Amino acid sequence: MADQRILFSKSGTARYISHLDLMHTMERAFLRAGITIRHTAGFHPHPYVSIPLPLPLGFSSQCEVMEFGLEAGSTVEALPEQMNKVLPEGIRVLTCYEGGQAFKKLTYVRYDITLEFDGPLAEAAETALRALLSRESFVVQKRSKKARSGFTEVDIIPLVNAVEEVRAEGDTLRLTLLLSAQNPGLNPDVLIQGFRGEHPELPMVYTACHRREILDDKKNVYR
Amino acid sequence: MDHKLEKILARVQKPGRYVGGEYNAVQKDKADVDCRFAFCFPDTYEIGMSNLGLRILYGVMNEMDGVWCERVFAPWSDMEAEMRREGLPLYALESGDPIKDFDLIGFSLGYELAYTNVLNLLDLAGLPIRSADRPDLSPLIVAGGTCTYNPEPLAPFVDVISLGEGEDALPELIQLYRKAKAEGWSKDRMLWETAKLPGFYVPSLYRVSYQEDGTVAAITPEEGVPAVVTKRLVKEMDKSYYPVKTIVPSTEVTHDRVMLELFRGCIRGCRFCQAGFVYRPVRNRSHELLAQQGVEACKDSGYQEMTLMSLSSSDYPDLLPLCDGLLEWCQPNKVNLSLPSLRADNFSMNLMEKLQAGGRKSGLTFAPEAGSQRLRDAINKNVTEEDLLNSCRTAFAGGWSSVKLYFMLGLPTETDEDVLGIADLATKVYHVWRNNTPNRSRGVRITVSTSCFVPKSHTPFQWEAQNTQEEYLRKVTLLRENLRNKSITYNWHDPETSFLEACISRGDRRLADVVETAWKNGAKFDSWSEHFKLQTWLDAFEAHGLDPSFYANRERSKEETLPWKVISDGVKESYLWKEREAAYAGVITPDCREKCSACGANKLCEGGVCHG
Repeated sequence: MADQRILFSKSGTARYISHLDLMHTMERAFLRAGITIRHTAGFHPHPYVSIPLPLPLGFSSQCEVMEFGLEAGSTVEALPEQMNKVLPEGIRVLTCYEGGQAFKKLTYVRYDITLEFDGPLAEAAETALRALLSRESFVVQKRSKKARSGFTEVDIIPLVNAVEEVRAEGDTLRLTLLLSAQNPGLNPDVLIQGFRGEHPELPMVYTACHRREILDDKKNVYR
Repeated sequence: MDHKLEKILARVQKPGRYVGGEYNAVQKDKADVDCRFAFCFPDTYEIGMSNLGLRILYGVMNEMDGVWCERVFAPWSDMEAEMRREGLPLYALESGDPIKDFDLIGFSLGYELAYTNVLNLLDLAGLPIRSADRPDLSPLIVAGGTCTYNPEPLAPFVDVISLGEGEDALPELIQLYRKAKAEGWSKDRMLWETAKLPGFYVPSLYRVSYQEDGTVAAITPEEGVPAVVTKRLVKEMDKSYYPVKTIVPSTEVTHDRVMLELFRGCIRGCRFCQAGFVYRPVRNRSHELLAQQGVEACKDSGYQEMTLMSLSSSDYPDLLPLCDGLLEWCQPNKVNLSLPSLRADNFSMNLMEKLQAGGRKSGLTFAPEAGSQRLRDAINKNVTEEDLLNSCRTAFAGGWSSVKLYFMLGLPTETDEDVLGIADLATKVYHVWRNNTPNRSRGVRITVSTSCFVPKSHTPFQWEAQNTQEEYLRKVTLLRENLRNKSITYNWHDPETSFLEACISRGDRRLADVVETAWKNGAKFDSWSEHFKLQTWLDAFEAHGLDPSFYANRERSKEETLPWKVISDGVKESYLWKEREAAYAGVITPDCREKCSACGANKLCEGGVCHG
């Protein structure tokens, strides 16, 4: 039998649940709902749940995908309601469906990014950001667990597929960007850090990143 | 969510512990609530959420109509710095509202080294730390927990102390408060009325005077205020509240599992153990009810782990039927059942085997507490060397290869011979392994740990001097030099925190100034080694002309007025003295089930009879 997936949102207080804790939260929620899911084979079987693109801590999303194997206790139709009764605040299952596209087909993420500046600097920031993104290349340092120095360098420009929307209002700059999802992907925080480094005269007091949609290689909605 | 808080959370470690929103966290409509209670645990979220007492009282209060109990934990230093910088006052997790506007604020006091956190939390809330500087009825500050058997070092800070178990007492306090609020009482009147409730100690209604030598001369209650306040307790465990529906943290906490409380109290009467006296008498929960609650709690929470809790689980009369009942459900549902605090006897070992059937064999832990039979008799720890070695034999033969042994150094009557007895015992355990293991090439790990004994109030050793740090370290060195075996690891607990614990746990009201000064000079999270600095405390003692060794290292006479004279757990002081004499005579006292030794706690039960 093919695996099942859920599409779920993560917002509010649930933004602060890390990827690893989210997996535990989901496993427990299945048990609370009385839903049996497939376990891994091997000497220490554990419930199989898999998320193709982990959401960084603090981000919100309306398009998270999780794969699992539904064995008993529910159907794809009934599952969202059953799960929503037992999930913590801020996590909502939107739909449940059979199968889905291969994980490697997940190619782009549409992010809504909010940058709050220390003063009415949004318009200046918009100009600066557009200039930055029109460069040939923009290399920033990125924290890495693998590199011996603790940092690797990444060129952001090829990973920003499109600047879809920019709105500057007083101290707030709102962007909608289409970013590469994986291999390599771009975490918008890396872009924000790069921007901070280039423009210390535009100090930010708050940033928020929200995943609005995930897309496949043809820029169709990924499920 | 508050935007100021969102900004802060982007800059702190583990932000998930500051936002609430977990499964089963209680939300109420403020329009239906007339009494808001902030339950403060003066340590981190991860430690606080591991506490069963918090979960019980949270449930008890939230079951009351019109009452909303919310949780508050101590923010870690990075969060605290951000909150202070941004001017964000301490808030409760469920509503996010500042707790300074609450009706009551309750502190759970489980260990003395959290006292500076209590002051810090009051300060972070934006409240004056001293009761006398808070003239209004609300928020009323109440404290409970094991530490409150000697609440004196916190006396000027809290308004009311709740003694003993809070399941029945706290709702009574809340009802009194609601009456006070409705009728517009002054705080003063509320305090006087609270003092009339059984089990509530109002420190500001007692005057303490001192002798020239620094000991307490007298503790004088105001007229009409009781001279002795006796703890409250749950009379029937089967009728008392158990949180079947309990909060499931979304982030990892220290003890993250279903906790079943088998019984309260302990039949053993180990003379060093405060819990063994202050929770008397023993009250069991029935095994049928426990099994039912355990299964329900697992189903509701989705936890895959359950632990049986009590002061000495082997003494639960129906342990076998309980485990059978639970395993019947747990094994097919892949729920792991664990049983800490087992005694080193054969019965317990068989049970361990049963619980671990098919699973991984984790380490075994035993607490002989003392190295020689003579000293074990003196402290009334009724474990023989034979019991221990037999248990180890069974374990090693069954494939276990890791044993932890816990001891205390500095117990009353201890000699160097007793210290060397620890090395001797550990070596015997090693030989038992050699002779019984099916696989010698795998090796064995024997870990010996010692801590420095802290004499506590309400125990037969409440008059004793603690070993000085130097003396403790001398004994550590002696033991270390005699533990030369590659398979035996020796860990010793640092004596500095034990010393401070000893100062505070038997301190008088004058120590409040020391606690305040230490806190002002930066002391907080004293139970965390990365924060603890003894020097801050020594300076605070000196600033107030007090000598810490007066509290920690001085033997008290039988005649001395002890600072906790007003506080009774139901056990007679004369009984404790008799037990102390028995310790020096090396005479053991049989456990409560074998023979009642008339400690006095039976008077707390219906009809004056314990049902252990």
